[in-house]
Amino acid sequence: MNEFVGRALLRREDAHLLRGEARFIDDVPEPDGTLHLGFVLSPHAHARILEVDTAAAAALPGIQAVLTGADIAAHVQPIVAEVEIEGYRRHGRDVVARDLVRFVGEAVAVVVAEDPYVAQDAIELVEVSYEPLAASIDMEATTAADAPRVHEAVPGNLVFEGRFATEGFDEAFAAAPHVLKERFKSGRVGGVPLEPRGCLAVPEPGGALTFYTSTQIPHMLRTAVAKYIGCPESRLRVVVPEVGGGFGTKAQIYPEEFVTAALARHFRRPVKWIQDRREELITDIHSRDHIYEVEVAFDGEGLVQALRSRVRTNAGAYSTLPFGCTLETTGGARMIVGPYRITNYAYVAQAVVTHTGPVGAYRGVAQPSCYMAIEGMMDRIARHLDIDPAEVRLRNMVPTAELPWTNVVGVRYDTGSYQESLRAAMEAIDYEGFRAGQPADRLVDGKYRGIGICSFTEVSGTGAPGWRARGLVRLPGFDTGLVRVEPSGEVTAFVSHAHAGQGHYTTFAQVVADALGVDFADVTIIEGDTAAVPYGTGTFASRSAVTGGGALIRAATKVRDKMRRIAAHILEAAVEDVVFEAGRAHVAGVEGHGVDMRRIAETAYAMNELTLPEGEDFGLEETDFYDPPLVTMANASHIARVAVDAEDGRVEIEAYAVVHDCGRLINPMIVDGQIHGGVAQGIGEALMEEFVYDDEGQIQNATLLDYLLPTAEDIPDITLGHIESPTIDAVGGFKGVGEGGVIGAVPAVLNAVGDALSGLGIEIATKPLRPSLLAGEIRKVRDGSAS
Amino acid sequence: MIEKLDITLIVNGRERHARVEPRRLLADVLRHELGLKGTHIGCEHGVCGACTVLLDGRSARSCLHFAVAVDGAEITTVEGLGGGDELTPIQQAFHRNHALQCGYCTPGMLVTVQEFLAREPDPDDAAIRRALSNNICRCTGYANIVAAVREAARALREAGT
Repeated sequence: MNEFVGRALLRREDAHLLRGEARFIDDVPEPDGTLHLGFVLSPHAHARILEVDTAAAAALPGIQAVLTGADIAAHVQPIVAEVEIEGYRRHGRDVVARDLVRFVGEAVAVVVAEDPYVAQDAIELVEVSYEPLAASIDMEATTAADAPRVHEAVPGNLVFEGRFATEGFDEAFAAAPHVLKERFKSGRVGGVPLEPRGCLAVPEPGGALTFYTSTQIPHMLRTAVAKYIGCPESRLRVVVPEVGGGFGTKAQIYPEEFVTAALARHFRRPVKWIQDRREELITDIHSRDHIYEVEVAFDGEGLVQALRSRVRTNAGAYSTLPFGCTLETTGGARMIVGPYRITNYAYVAQAVVTHTGPVGAYRGVAQPSCYMAIEGMMDRIARHLDIDPAEVRLRNMVPTAELPWTNVVGVRYDTGSYQESLRAAMEAIDYEGFRAGQPADRLVDGKYRGIGICSFTEVSGTGAPGWRARGLVRLPGFDTGLVRVEPSGEVTAFVSHAHAGQGHYTTFAQVVADALGVDFADVTIIEGDTAAVPYGTGTFASRSAVTGGGALIRAATKVRDKMRRIAAHILEAAVEDVVFEAGRAHVAGVEGHGVDMRRIAETAYAMNELTLPEGEDFGLEETDFYDPPLVTMANASHIARVAVDAEDGRVEIEAYAVVHDCGRLINPMIVDGQIHGGVAQGIGEALMEEFVYDDEGQIQNATLLDYLLPTAEDIPDITLGHIESPTIDAVGGFKGVGEGGVIGAVPAVLNAVGDALSGLGIEIATKPLRPSLLAGEIRKVRDGSAS
Repeated sequence: MIEKLDITLIVNGRERHARVEPRRLLADVLRHELGLKGTHIGCEHGVCGACTVLLDGRSARSCLHFAVAVDGAEITTVEGLGGGDELTPIQQAFHRNHALQCGYCTPGMLVTVQEFLAREPDPDDAAIRRALSNNICRCTGYANIVAAVREAARALREAGT
């Protein structure tokens, strides 16, 4: 039955957010006697810690303690990312540095204060003596023979190298008549959620600890915190309050979380830490600091015969929890083939360590960058052969009739709409009309005007096999649903996810209502509390609908089966003759001979005169653990139309169209919102966002005045269309949608600018495209042609 | 110890008293002394707009004011926008248009929009986007917020308020 899935129901979570009644981490009531932490951060990218003088800080009234890295080491074990993949070099991290600091912003001491303002005072009074050391900042230079070493355990600063080649690759490459080559540089960005991170650890009787934290992965976080601070996992309860944006930034487990939990146990007092924006910008995970060197061999029709890539990602100073530092590297190398029929492929994928901030899993992971490369090459092939870029893509795409298709690295595309989504997006933005009126020099009314495409596949709903393939041996993959019909007949459903604005209370209730055959209004969703909800992997990598939705459907189906058995017993009918719909069971064809859900529930809970069938247990709840296949592959096409100011180099996006296919839509309104938000982040990444390190490893723009986030004036209206190709590989037919917006927007905008400037012979192979960069390129060409 | 000062603020129509250090930010006083946690802190340097409140009727960043410096002022926070159980027309428009996801920027957005529509009751989209550009939202891509403001403007005009 499909009564609620597919409908744009308004969100249940809105009212308390709109009234200012929602409780984010800094709003969770602080128990009396709460201590507040402050972290002393290294001003050096690479230095030896000679001495930490805590005396002046410790003497400040209101200071409970000032702790060095050595002090903290007594409470928290060094953390080690559990990556097991050939070519990876393991290294550990003290959560507060003891001997060496390896990036600007690494914590070297912790102050424990009665008041957060006093904590800030004390931070200023901690005197740390450093011996500054030469640092490796540049991701190419870091592997030079004489480059300063980041970790003893990582010789040559090469923390991971993986290689792959299909059989007969070199011959296939050599046989093609055309070869083009490009080096793409993708700038370093971050999720920058509007709410910084924070946590509050509250000791409970019996040595237990309740740990409130702004995370997307409560269960994995609990396992890790328990392990590294030596707390029994069963005594640790992780509770997630409202989370003010995650984007993968909060799908990490950070040093401050271990320290806060450990110190609450040590002092036997509540301990709280709230991050400020500068800390967020310099210590939260960054992403996308990549170089792609690609060579594409193709025939005269533009068909790709072979692709070679060298992918290098900057891992920063430390491998992080829980994904390590190879997620972007393996992702970029493996996902680059996208929706195209590329059967000869070879890559070298490297992750290098540098004295910069650690990296992690920001929305889209490697996909915005690797599609920047492959989609950039599609445009270069088109220009080289004088074929339209859309036509080159259409010729290379896997046609729907050939699905399921297993791509060159072994990932199965079960269903999709690669050509259809591109054609629909072209129609939506009047691609042909724009092309027909476009002059060769692209100059219209004093601006260079161009159009750019990104067609892509989006990895979503990764299950355990998918994580194993990328070396993440301890990342579970499954998620869990527990569906309970209460004695009243109402439904409570628990799911192992944790939202940060995605609307789970609404969408999961739609899924459960349909799976059980009950009213949406009767279903309540609970998540984000490890004391209430069974174990699961959590919310990241576009997985909630696939893994959580699948688990809930399977659990609800079991409950529904049990209700049918009880109803059959009550109705003295055969189970197969009982149908269940709209909260009531009846004998098929005899609607009058039925029993409502409340009476079935009362029977299950032994609250009436009826009995259960022989051998049936009391209660009405079921749990299911759902591990989806390798991945569930969504797809989309984005097309951007831009105008580049010939004088100042500013890019204005004049039109934007998306046609997306995430399989079966649960709530179209929420899906559209995910895409809008993703596109905005992608436009930011393409045009303005970048963390800029100087040669000494200082971030030059660690404020929101200088790290530019897009505003309402930077984002255009978006024309949005959907194609629904339900997955046949995962329960429910859903594919993920969380990352598609950002993945498509980055290459689409870059390609549009590349098209706009193609008359000048300017090739776009870097991001972000700041006005100063483009103005300089335009001026160079114009000055050159004038002279 | 830093000497504390007594201040009085008229917050959401009620007279409130607090005894605070001179360096204490208005945002922190609202949140932690007065318990009005709907005002959110996103950057503490006046860029993101999450902490926007009305200060003597004009929108202001509560992270850029010391509470003692606005002693005696009238302040409206998100908790003071509504009329009891009912959502205001602006809040309703945000709900109907899915103009919020995580909701962290939302209180600041609502305060900004309240002031904006009082000043410009019939704005075009460009004016709406200009007004919203003071507040960063990282989730929605703004499209639905623009739509919500458009709808709220119409609702407020039709209600004659």
